[in-house]
Amino acid sequence: MSQEVKIIERKEISRGAVMLFGFPDVGLVGVIAASHLISELNLTEVAYMDSRLLPPLIVLHEGLPHSPIRVFGNHNVLLAVSETAISADTIYPVMHALIDWGRNKNAKTMISMSGIPVQDRQDVKQLKVFAAASSPEMLKTVQDKDVQVLKEGYMVGPQAIVMQYCANSGIPAIALLAQCFFNYPDPEAAAELLKELANIAEIKVDISKLLEKGEEIRLRARDVMRRTQQEMSKMKKTQEYDIPMYVS
Amino acid sequence: MSTRKRRSIFEIINEYFENLEERTERFREVLIEKPSWDRRACTMEPLRNIMVTPTEVIVTVDLPYAEENTISVKSIGGDTIEILAKMKRKIRFDDFGITHHKGEFETLYCQTRVPLPVYMDKMELRFKKGILEIHLPRKHEHEIPIE
Repeated sequence: MSQEVKIIERKEISRGAVMLFGFPDVGLVGVIAASHLISELNLTEVAYMDSRLLPPLIVLHEGLPHSPIRVFGNHNVLLAVSETAISADTIYPVMHALIDWGRNKNAKTMISMSGIPVQDRQDVKQLKVFAAASSPEMLKTVQDKDVQVLKEGYMVGPQAIVMQYCANSGIPAIALLAQCFFNYPDPEAAAELLKELANIAEIKVDISKLLEKGEEIRLRARDVMRRTQQEMSKMKKTQEYDIPMYVS
Repeated sequence: MSTRKRRSIFEIINEYFENLEERTERFREVLIEKPSWDRRACTMEPLRNIMVTPTEVIVTVDLPYAEENTISVKSIGGDTIEILAKMKRKIRFDDFGITHHKGEFETLYCQTRVPLPVYMDKMELRFKKGILEIHLPRKHEHEIPIE
């Protein structure tokens, strides 16, 4: 693990769990899905990140300081979540440290939860969820579960690093991407993603409360979305709309 | 004697765009560094986005909790629009677990500048899934004919 980034464990960590990632990105899909999983599965904080690469920021909960990047878990799930947008300058060491830590805990699969922007999102009746995988075997796993594969295109942001690093390190990984708004919090997209997560990883939660609280989430998440948008622009996130030119 | 390396036109253009990008970023940061709420006016600022098509400028605004029949969009000074909507219920800081600020909000409010000349009087509105769409037909003032 990088010396610049430390993962401090607060509890004994289950081995062989599925490791999920919910980081600020388009529509805040991953973060909204992660928050819902934490409350529905009663996940508790098992570890947190400490690094001077992060901005001088803590998150106060019930008057106590917490790192903005934490890992929650139970006996079969580890969930890494960030409450603040990660800057383009620090995203590599942050994601690599979390993946290395998960590998040391024998995480059996890593699943990155995020979104893929769709134009005229408000007119889309049924949101689709796409998947990309770190290896042909993992790709077959998602195809066997009837999840549509994101065949061609660019991927920018935390999920891109998860895919690349896991592919290079031989760690089984999947990126689940729900169609969503580019720069508005999208609880409905998070709900669709959680349905597909249940299909792929057998992590099942009731999504009705998430949909009921949709407006509250959209209002509450405005500031995180605004900051995330700023970081996405630095990462050239709109490149995901580009048509790739493959050289074979 | 000091030798001065001559820079190519590409280096100069690159530098110009890098500086421009840096200045735009600084400007954006100045704009973002303010609260997204105004306690005195009891307003919260919604998220918004602007798209330009060959025929129109489309402004979208995310209006959670907005009462559809209270949404109002006004043109100010020809290049700015003001968006206002009453919320279905009053939102307090306590609702978000915040106890170090006091105040309640009942309106979503923002102003946004339209980047190109448009016909404000031909504005069309749509409200769907909590998203307000403002369609503004573009004014093509100086069309250059192809000879």
